[in-house]
Amino acid sequence: MRRPISLYGLTFSLPLLIWQVLFFVFPLLFLVALSFWTVKNFALRPGFDTVNWTTIYGRAVFWQAYGTTLALAAAASVLTTVLAFPAAYAIAFKLSDTARRWAVFLMVIPFFTSYLVRVYSWQIFLSDNGIFNAILGWIGLGPFAMLNTPGATMMGYLTLSYPLVVLLQVFSLTFIDRTLIEAAHNLRCGRLRTVFEVIIPSARTGLVIAALFCFILSFGDFVSPVYLGGGKPTTLSILITDTTKSGQQWPRAAVIALSMIGTLMIVAFTAVTFAYRGKTK
Amino acid sequence: MTPDTLVSFEGVVKRFGGFVAVQRLDFEIRKGEFLAIMGSSGCGKTTTLRMLAGLEAPSEGVIRLSGQPVNDLPTWRRDTPMVWQSLALFPFLNVRENVEFALKMRGTPKAERRRRAEQWLERMHIGEFAERNISQLSGGQRQRVALARSLVVEPEILLLDEPLSALDAALKVRMQSVLKNLQRETGITFVYVTHSQSEAFSMADRVVIMSRGKIEQIGTPQDIYRRPGTRFVAEFLGSSNIFQGTLARDAQGGSALETPLGSFATENITGLEAGAQATMTVLDTKTHLAAERPAGERNVLAARMIGEEFVGSVATIYLEAAGGQEIRVQKGHDQLAALPLEIGRELFVHWNPADAHIIAEA
Amino acid sequence: MSAHDPNRNRTVDRGLMIYLVLAYAFVFAPIAASFVFSFNSDRFPSLPLGSFTLDWYRAVADDPLVWSGARNTFIVGVIVGVISTLLGFGAAYTDYRYKFAGKQVYLALALLPPTIPVIILGLAMLAYLSRINLSGNALSVIISHVVVCAPFAMAIIRLRLSQMDPALEPAAWNLGASEWAAMRHVILPFCAPAIFGALFITMALSFDEFAVAWFVSGLNETLPVKVLGFLQGQVSPRINAIGTFVFILSMTLVILAQLLLSRRDARPADEE
Repeated sequence: MRRPISLYGLTFSLPLLIWQVLFFVFPLLFLVALSFWTVKNFALRPGFDTVNWTTIYGRAVFWQAYGTTLALAAAASVLTTVLAFPAAYAIAFKLSDTARRWAVFLMVIPFFTSYLVRVYSWQIFLSDNGIFNAILGWIGLGPFAMLNTPGATMMGYLTLSYPLVVLLQVFSLTFIDRTLIEAAHNLRCGRLRTVFEVIIPSARTGLVIAALFCFILSFGDFVSPVYLGGGKPTTLSILITDTTKSGQQWPRAAVIALSMIGTLMIVAFTAVTFAYRGKTK
Repeated sequence: MTPDTLVSFEGVVKRFGGFVAVQRLDFEIRKGEFLAIMGSSGCGKTTTLRMLAGLEAPSEGVIRLSGQPVNDLPTWRRDTPMVWQSLALFPFLNVRENVEFALKMRGTPKAERRRRAEQWLERMHIGEFAERNISQLSGGQRQRVALARSLVVEPEILLLDEPLSALDAALKVRMQSVLKNLQRETGITFVYVTHSQSEAFSMADRVVIMSRGKIEQIGTPQDIYRRPGTRFVAEFLGSSNIFQGTLARDAQGGSALETPLGSFATENITGLEAGAQATMTVLDTKTHLAAERPAGERNVLAARMIGEEFVGSVATIYLEAAGGQEIRVQKGHDQLAALPLEIGRELFVHWNPADAHIIAEA
Repeated sequence: MSAHDPNRNRTVDRGLMIYLVLAYAFVFAPIAASFVFSFNSDRFPSLPLGSFTLDWYRAVADDPLVWSGARNTFIVGVIVGVISTLLGFGAAYTDYRYKFAGKQVYLALALLPPTIPVIILGLAMLAYLSRINLSGNALSVIISHVVVCAPFAMAIIRLRLSQMDPALEPAAWNLGASEWAAMRHVILPFCAPAIFGALFITMALSFDEFAVAWFVSGLNETLPVKVLGFLQGQVSPRINAIGTFVFILSMTLVILAQLLLSRRDARPADEE
């Protein structure tokens, strides 16, 4: 029965609300306040000063990092989406039910391994005398410098989001009405054309949301740019850590962090609008 | 309120936001009766039952249980156990634990509740399944567990919300007789919500027909079947031919309904004036067919045959009269053998004025 | 063999299967390499493999810092799991049972935290928690992990609740159970598999949530922070040993959770 929330109901609903307000909403609000504070003699001074915003936004290094991060995250989203799709397609349409369950389970495993350990593992593959160069050496090639390149950073982004993107794509593909595909074939739409004319449009929402998650993860990641990209080029996440380490510039780090949140919100809003465009709900 | 009243609804209204689910219910449920509340989906029958169970609070009005208002009593303090459409058996408890549940909630000692649960399981002929999981039972067995679970507290009233809707036809009929016998033996008041006419009419002592949150008619199944109280009821039951028109005195001093299809004599117009708008209903089993216009019949209607339907030994002939009105005639095969039944052929439908029922609304 | 289906192209199907194998190879290569090289004797891991050794495990086992880190990780993980599951259960039940103004906001608060990049969350947490004198200890790690883990617990338990016959709880009330009794005797037993599943999964997540911990935690290092230390300082195959150990621990929890969540009509063990 729908009654106004009682003591009983509040017992269940309030704890999480209180926790998330205290330890999620307040920290983010504090970040906003912090961005207007100043630093004098390595100590924080509360106040309202826009100096941090003007300083950060006046620096070329910030805009370079911003452009780099945006470009890398966008590239990662496109690359991951394109590379994940054939795998998701195969899992959704070409496997038996049992095999599909196993495939999904296997894709979940990486979520429970340390991302950091996996990134370190890629170092073993990519370093100058690592596994890849050893193999290339046997056939008389190389060694190539693979570690500390933007390509290695991209490898890290893929490691981070590939399993998630595949899973989200599989879910959206399995929700497609199979008769739509048969109807397309029946109307003389070939296999490949059906993929582009029927399957991708039908799964658009899921595909875009999956790409959005990849963007969010890559945009904020700092492990891959540091340990695979070698810190070059500088991304916003590296900038944040550098700023906090050098001279207690927390307010400036807050400005960068807030700029990142703002960017993510705009991207997320645009992506969600696009994902649901033309859908009646 | 009479001494044998168990439940009374007094001006009960239920609104969900702007939607009025039940508008002004006034009726009583008698001790020991089998009452069916019937109507199509969205008519407010389930809401009525849920208000009685205390699962919904009335927006207006009072519900009394044994004379006491129960509006403010939460469902767990009323003894109004319910058998749910989904049965709502607890999947994590076995059969015996399900039946013991209500007793456990009442703090009955373990030995006592076990004894009473087993007694009811025996009575419902499912004693051998006591330790089974719910998922291991058939549909009919689950039904019996649900009944035992609700009856184990030996309540004065049992609420049933379309409990048979998930069963196949044969099992449904078996369970109907189980329910009817159970009600007769225990003397517990059953309030049974259903959209099925056959369930309501075969089990209930009285039937409440609801539509759009209002009661259309209350009465015994015979009453409602023979003398539908409103045009809606006649249409809902679907077993009558319906004619609309104006009441008039005919030349012999009798009464007739003037309709676009002709003037039809009737005898049942108590309390109605000539000139009043009215509806005539004639049960399709009380209409007859002839190949030629029958002589001496007062109520005759020419109609073209458009189809036929056979269920067992009974046939329903569908005809179309002037203006496209559909007429149905139901007969045994043997009664139809002599007739030239061809699609498109004109036949004559006739009925006895005594079999025509008049409803005072157009 | 069944007849060839003209709607399928074997070459395409085979190509897709090869692609799928390669995709899984990419996903599991780092995990497998970490496992293999944790038993490899070379200081700088590469091909060809050196000889089999348990030295790295021995080195890890001999490092008291690792042990204290492991202990902290475990304690933090268990506490985070319990609190996240309690909060997540409450939120899932609220969403299942109640309709109220502002529910969208409530759900956003309950589910949004994992989508905020950890670096930003870590920065905000550290700044905020140090302001209210909560930073630099295990408590601050627990607080921040719960913010991120509770949404996962909520999602898992909410899913289970949506599989429950909506008549089950009202049926219990109708049979004389008060709201609290229905919670104890119906909702909790029904959700038990999901509750334990959520507990194990949030524990496993906590083990891996190193980034927030790195920012927030001061001296009390948890295991992932220790791993980060290795990376920043001397790169050593010991990280593979730790990684393999954490992986096995996490997977044990995940498989336990999986078994619980896929069990049908699970019965609670505590009922007499």
